[in-house]
Amino acid sequence: MTTTAIPAEARHAPAAAPKRRPGREREGAAWVFLSPWVLGAIVLTLLPMAVSLYLSFTDYDLFSPPKWVGLRNYVQMFTEDPRYWRSVVTTLTYVVVAVPLQLALALAVALALKGMKRGKGFYRSAFYAPSLLGASMSIALVWRAVFNDGGTVDNLLGTGGWVNKPGWALLAVALLTVWQFGAPMVIFLAGLQQIPPELYEAAAVDGAGKWRQFLSVTVPMLSPVLFFNLVLQTIQAFQVFTPAFAVSAGKGGPADSTLVYTMYLYDRGFVASHMGYASAMAWVLLLVIGVVTAVLFRTSRSWVFYASEGER
Amino acid sequence: MPGHRTKGFCASAAALALCAVLAGCGGPGESAGGGKVVLRYTWWGNPDRAERTEQAVALFEKQHPDIDVATSFSGYDAYKQKLATQAAGGDAPDVMQLDYRQIDQYASGGVLLDLAKQKSALRTSEIDPGLLATGRVDDVQYAIPQGRGTETVAYDVRTWKKSGVPLPGESWTWSEWADTMRALAKKTGKPGATDPGQSEDAFEVWLRGRGKTLYTEDGSLGFTAGDLTRWWTFTDRLRREGAVSPAEQTTQLDGSVENTPLGRGTSVTDANWDAPASGFAALVEGGVALAPMPTGEDGTPGQYFKPSMFVGVSAKTEHPEQAARLVDFLINDRQAAKILGASRGIPVNETIRDEIGPQLKDFDKTIAGFQASLEGKLKDPPQAPPSGDNALQSTFQRDYDQVSYARMSPREAAENYVTEAKAELRS
Repeated sequence: MTTTAIPAEARHAPAAAPKRRPGREREGAAWVFLSPWVLGAIVLTLLPMAVSLYLSFTDYDLFSPPKWVGLRNYVQMFTEDPRYWRSVVTTLTYVVVAVPLQLALALAVALALKGMKRGKGFYRSAFYAPSLLGASMSIALVWRAVFNDGGTVDNLLGTGGWVNKPGWALLAVALLTVWQFGAPMVIFLAGLQQIPPELYEAAAVDGAGKWRQFLSVTVPMLSPVLFFNLVLQTIQAFQVFTPAFAVSAGKGGPADSTLVYTMYLYDRGFVASHMGYASAMAWVLLLVIGVVTAVLFRTSRSWVFYASEGER
Repeated sequence: MPGHRTKGFCASAAALALCAVLAGCGGPGESAGGGKVVLRYTWWGNPDRAERTEQAVALFEKQHPDIDVATSFSGYDAYKQKLATQAAGGDAPDVMQLDYRQIDQYASGGVLLDLAKQKSALRTSEIDPGLLATGRVDDVQYAIPQGRGTETVAYDVRTWKKSGVPLPGESWTWSEWADTMRALAKKTGKPGATDPGQSEDAFEVWLRGRGKTLYTEDGSLGFTAGDLTRWWTFTDRLRREGAVSPAEQTTQLDGSVENTPLGRGTSVTDANWDAPASGFAALVEGGVALAPMPTGEDGTPGQYFKPSMFVGVSAKTEHPEQAARLVDFLINDRQAAKILGASRGIPVNETIRDEIGPQLKDFDKTIAGFQASLEGKLKDPPQAPPSGDNALQSTFQRDYDQVSYARMSPREAAENYVTEAKAELRS
């Protein structure tokens, strides 16, 4: 960057000239225009976060004023609550199953669409549709019906209702997420279209087959996009709530098998009225997601290939 | 430059105006209806109760043209969560239905209005003093019971009769009950009952039949892990034998009659409270009748008359007088009583009870008859459960899931529950 070479005073120089007032004024107007967002961010995000941090050190049942208990919530969580650890294991299982499946499916569909000559727009929209629907509660309820006793899956496969079997319920939840692969698919598709066709031509001339081309051209060229999707979906997967809530009819059952982290958090906060404990859980989740993301970024150095790096 | 200033000014003004509009949208939309007072009234229940309540409310609105009542209802589990959140946010409905398990928490949390302050609008003179007292916390009348309920074994009459197993009599012990369920399962090919292991209510009946209680007087646990192990071992065995519902069905219970095995037509009986059992009438083609809950082996009854469906007024209501009027109407109005029938239990106003009693129809009559058959036989109800019980009810069901899915032994799960319950009651 060339700007770094300019001394600090020199950079501010134009602002100090006669045009100063309108500049200021414009800044003021900018703040006015930003104010709905800034207010929203402060009132609806930062303030509640601060309150939640405070509450995490208290015993608060929603009805009487919070009582300061220091680190007790955190200590109880890590040492005295077997259900907490069960929810951690469930969430990790979910992340490890749902994220790779979803990304693999998104990539596969994106590859299929890329080669398509006609009707690409239609199929892209069609595959994206579940992502629009999937965020809603209604589709999750339909999902529960599909996987319930006497539902479509039961009728087709004769397996009984998945949502009532501890070993299967989480898979039904994961499939709901996997099915909403639209967002990563679109990003993959955009990424695939960025890969210069010359690379494939060159590879073909060198005698590389389709599979070889995929491994040696597509994967490395697509790795930044893959990394982006991986980080995004992992963060989302840790916070999964709606599908687990709807598929288990709000209970995290059967036998706690779909009691993911946020479900247990909700249970502690809104069912058992332990808001302090729930707040502490939320902060631990935030930290864990931060750490996992940091780890992903660290490992990315060894497998993500940026084309710009190569040119340097 | 003036041009700039004007533009900037306009922009700020526009933005501020926009903010004002947005803020306006967020505000309470009450009292918008041309000077009418708007009351929010919420309850839990089944569609039958909802329909009758709506009819009664419409009558109230007709009698009080200056009051509009906005109603909403849901199933118990959802209701309980929503109400807690609303109450915490200082936004509790003006008039709300409350359970025996909730009044302690809501009263001590300052959510409820002292109803004695609205004496002129709300008469309580025709309610049995003992029953009325169940709505008191620290000697303040925070809520009024709307009825009394007791537990019952509701059964599918046609299926039972066809099985050839003798119909239930005036009383039965738990082991007689268990044998009957086995016989029903054998003859009908479907489980005799919903697995009672998941129900804290059923456990309480069993416990009281053995002379123990769910909670002691000072609000700690009244039973040991050994007692709970014995109960869960009993139900676990019945489940393995197929006499009660399998885990896959039991786990689907959510407080509604629609999702019970009996409601789905996959079992012959279901233990439930008598008022909600009216919902079975619409679901079970073969007709529904009520039998008493099983007793202890020496005949000690476990079930009791529980003051049910309390109604309270929010401490933060802007219209305490009108809210009290609505409560008065629900409890003391003759026409309202006719419409409501026994949908919340037999009426508490004694004059009305005597007058309406003989006129009750359909399932209301069944419930009245059932309660009359138990009159004088039951022991006193326990005092209102401690606040933590609200959460423990679902913990109980969850821990039993571990037993019915054979992931834990009854002993393991019982010890888990007792640990959790002690922590819950301590805080």
